[in-house]
Amino acid sequence: MASLQIPKEPLPKPTWWGNVCAGVKSTWVGLGITWRNFRSTPVTIQYPDEALPIDARYRGIHFLEQDICIGCQACAKACPVDCIEMEYDRHGKELEWFKFTVDYEKCMFCELCVYPCPKDCIHLGSDYSMVSETKPMFLKELLSYTGLTEEQKVRIAKADELKKKKAAEKAAKKAAEKAAKEAEEAAAPEAPPEPPTKEKE
Amino acid sequence: MIEFLRDLLGFETWLLVIVGALISFLAIFGFVAVLAMVAVWLERKVGGHIQVRLGPMRVGGWHGWAQSIADSLKLLMKEDMVVLGADRVLFKLAPAIVMATALSTFVVLPFSPDLQVADVDLGIFFVLAISSITTIGVVMAGWGSNNKWSLYGAMREAAQVASYEIPLGLSLMMPVMYYGTFSLKAASDAQSGWYGMQWYIFSDAFWIAIPSFFLFFTAALAETKRTPFDLPETESELVAGFHTEYSGMRWAFFFMEEYAAMFLMGAIGTAFWLGGYSFPGMNLLEAGSFLHTVLCIGSFVTKSMLLLLVMIWVRWTLPRLRIDQVMTMGYKYLTPLCLILVFMAAGWEYFKFAMGW
Amino acid sequence: MNQKSALHNFHPAGDFASLPGQEVEFDISTKDVEINMGPQHPATHGVLRVLLKANGEILTGAQCHLGYLHRSAEKIGESVDYVQYLPYTDRYDYLASMNNNLSYALAVEKLMGVEAPERAQYLRTIVVELNRVASHLVAIGTYGIDLGAFTPFFYMIREREMLLDLFEKICGARLTYTYIRPGGVMNDAPPGWLDGVKEFTDIFDEKWCEYWDLLMENKIFIERTANVGVITPEQAIAWGTSGPVLRGSGVDWDVRKNNPYMLYEQFDFEAVKGCGYKGTLGDCYDRSFVRMYEMVESVKIVRQCLEGIQEGEVQHAEVGHALKPAPGEVYAGIENPRGELGHYIVSNGEKIANRMRVRSPSYCNLSIVEHMLPGCMLADAAAIIGSVDIVMGETDR
Repeated sequence: MASLQIPKEPLPKPTWWGNVCAGVKSTWVGLGITWRNFRSTPVTIQYPDEALPIDARYRGIHFLEQDICIGCQACAKACPVDCIEMEYDRHGKELEWFKFTVDYEKCMFCELCVYPCPKDCIHLGSDYSMVSETKPMFLKELLSYTGLTEEQKVRIAKADELKKKKAAEKAAKKAAEKAAKEAEEAAAPEAPPEPPTKEKE
Repeated sequence: MIEFLRDLLGFETWLLVIVGALISFLAIFGFVAVLAMVAVWLERKVGGHIQVRLGPMRVGGWHGWAQSIADSLKLLMKEDMVVLGADRVLFKLAPAIVMATALSTFVVLPFSPDLQVADVDLGIFFVLAISSITTIGVVMAGWGSNNKWSLYGAMREAAQVASYEIPLGLSLMMPVMYYGTFSLKAASDAQSGWYGMQWYIFSDAFWIAIPSFFLFFTAALAETKRTPFDLPETESELVAGFHTEYSGMRWAFFFMEEYAAMFLMGAIGTAFWLGGYSFPGMNLLEAGSFLHTVLCIGSFVTKSMLLLLVMIWVRWTLPRLRIDQVMTMGYKYLTPLCLILVFMAAGWEYFKFAMGW
Repeated sequence: MNQKSALHNFHPAGDFASLPGQEVEFDISTKDVEINMGPQHPATHGVLRVLLKANGEILTGAQCHLGYLHRSAEKIGESVDYVQYLPYTDRYDYLASMNNNLSYALAVEKLMGVEAPERAQYLRTIVVELNRVASHLVAIGTYGIDLGAFTPFFYMIREREMLLDLFEKICGARLTYTYIRPGGVMNDAPPGWLDGVKEFTDIFDEKWCEYWDLLMENKIFIERTANVGVITPEQAIAWGTSGPVLRGSGVDWDVRKNNPYMLYEQFDFEAVKGCGYKGTLGDCYDRSFVRMYEMVESVKIVRQCLEGIQEGEVQHAEVGHALKPAPGEVYAGIENPRGELGHYIVSNGEKIANRMRVRSPSYCNLSIVEHMLPGCMLADAAAIIGSVDIVMGETDR
């Protein structure tokens, strides 16, 4: 019989009758155990009809909070198998997304991409079933939209306007300064000529 | 049956024999096919529930009852493949031999007082003789498959089955001595007294009957290649043993043979130890009436299936022996125990004779 | 030696070389049959290929062919940075990923000269010991399948499922955890998790008795394993085995005891070793025996951890995502369920290790198999390979 104390000594060698008795007894005990389990409730479930609950920390297929993402590439750099790829254009502060894919042929759900994220915008979700007959299915697009949204366009336009305004102001200021300088130069022609400044924007 | 057919058809005797044989064959084949399906389903369900899971649940609705039918349809439609380098004749002949022997042993089973294909006087002797021919089929399959693992399985089967004929035959001697007959029908008839409860295990020789039944059951497990004696198949060592290279219906024949043999062993145990077709209160019904016959058949099949279920239960409980341990168990344990019991049974019969009981 | 004595004396103690059946003269000329066991074979636990030579049922020679699962993990370790290599350590011994993580994390911490906070160490001990239980459950369950007993496997899987649920709760994965990281652990235990662990430790002893009665006490199991595949203590040491294979031969060597790491000095547990309980010292039964009682001891350690664990940090503040340890070389070995798993790392002060080397227990334990097989029967090949409990992912890496 089972005992949780660790035996230290070998048992004596069984005799002929000992073998017969041990065989019969252990078979009887074994049949009893299987009988008890036969009568117990099965622990399995019928999978496609019912599924096991998924825990909150489950590491399944990624999801991305696209609005927060700043495209810093930290997740792509942290990935051991280089399965994250992203493409975007910067319009000032706004990002125009073209692509943010995870290649699930490579991904091993290690969650190493989640921790370096400065904005905490990439997560592993609770979805795990990914069945397909074709390979391209495993290259999953995490973006919910590509290109620019209307809001973004408005914001970009505003930013552009702001920029133009600023540039115009700057240009006006410069022109004013220049005029003032020219006036000064005209007033004092003996001053040495200024080195040529790089005109930016 | 021949008389019945003569009255019905009025043919020559030889023609009647052929017609009778054909009808019997179809009946037995149908019975074995249905039996194998039910047994496979039972095995999967019982195995599943023992292993705290459910087993097949999809096909057919209620607990996957149609799973076996679907499987047999699949097997029928599968490609019948002969591996390269196989001995084609042996390879194709083997399942037929195995199946034929399994079917022909059903001839002597007494399903009811009236329903028996042939009441052979040496009934149990006939069963042992025919069922050991199965080994030849298995060896042919193993040799013909051109696969070393299959050959190992076949050789193990040959060694094991030949060895276990001895304890099996000896353990059958106890009821044979008690009833004084080799015929299964006569033994069943003798147990129908006491309102159908005069079974061998309840008789005056119960102290011989019960141990001899366990010895018979152990030897029967070895004869039918069931765990813990499934050496010819051993999934974990020989992959699938002698039927590794078979597919489709040929493979299904081996499978059907296994379940037919299990049922056969259960039927022999029933007929000799557990009262055959007798059931409590059978004397209250008129012998030969329809209800009587149906209840007799039901009783016989139920008891045999219960023994088959016990075989399944044992299978899902025990590990497997090694081939030398199988031999050791056969020759050093079962045979001496059987011999002791044979002597005790003989002494008891002589004692009864001498006392004039 | 004649055929008969060969049958009854499979394992001439201390002398693997003397093969039975060689001096028997046959009337007809016979030739040993060569059989390929594997790479696809149910008893080789993965893609191990054993080339067997057999005289009938008795094996006369064996040769293991490895490398079917080689993924060059060590070379990858020299091309990705320290944290990125973590998921690869999961995949050597996929049944005991926590232990692999721990070995690697300890090596990197040693290289950096830091130590994980105390709560992290307690959490590490709990998950590692639970993982040891899970791994041994699979080892003994599949060993039962090797020997033809299917049902114990399902009962063990049932309890392992509870453990996997616990692991899923704490780190989100069920097999490849990546939980233990250099400097601590990935995240703290969720609320109620420790109660779940306690629940498991409460029910486990009863279940353990069920396995023992069903499998270990079974006469057929004893016959199949006792006196089969005997490794003497000298051989076990000479072949560099470790873990249950070494302790099964009665050698008192447990890295947790003899070379303690983390908090193992504090805990009260015993390094289980075989005693020839049902047969000879160092047979297959003893190795299973060691695994069975190690589960009890592991659960004992977990209980002590549950008493001792305190609130606190779980990650060392200085260890971040991009590590740059100082130049140097370290070796950190731990007691994996299969033996001593160690990482040897050489750093030259860059983000990427200069040299990464893994000492994997399965590989060393496997080396003795082909010397144990000759003289056994064909069925014993399954019993012996199963009793050594190799994981091919770790052997080939």
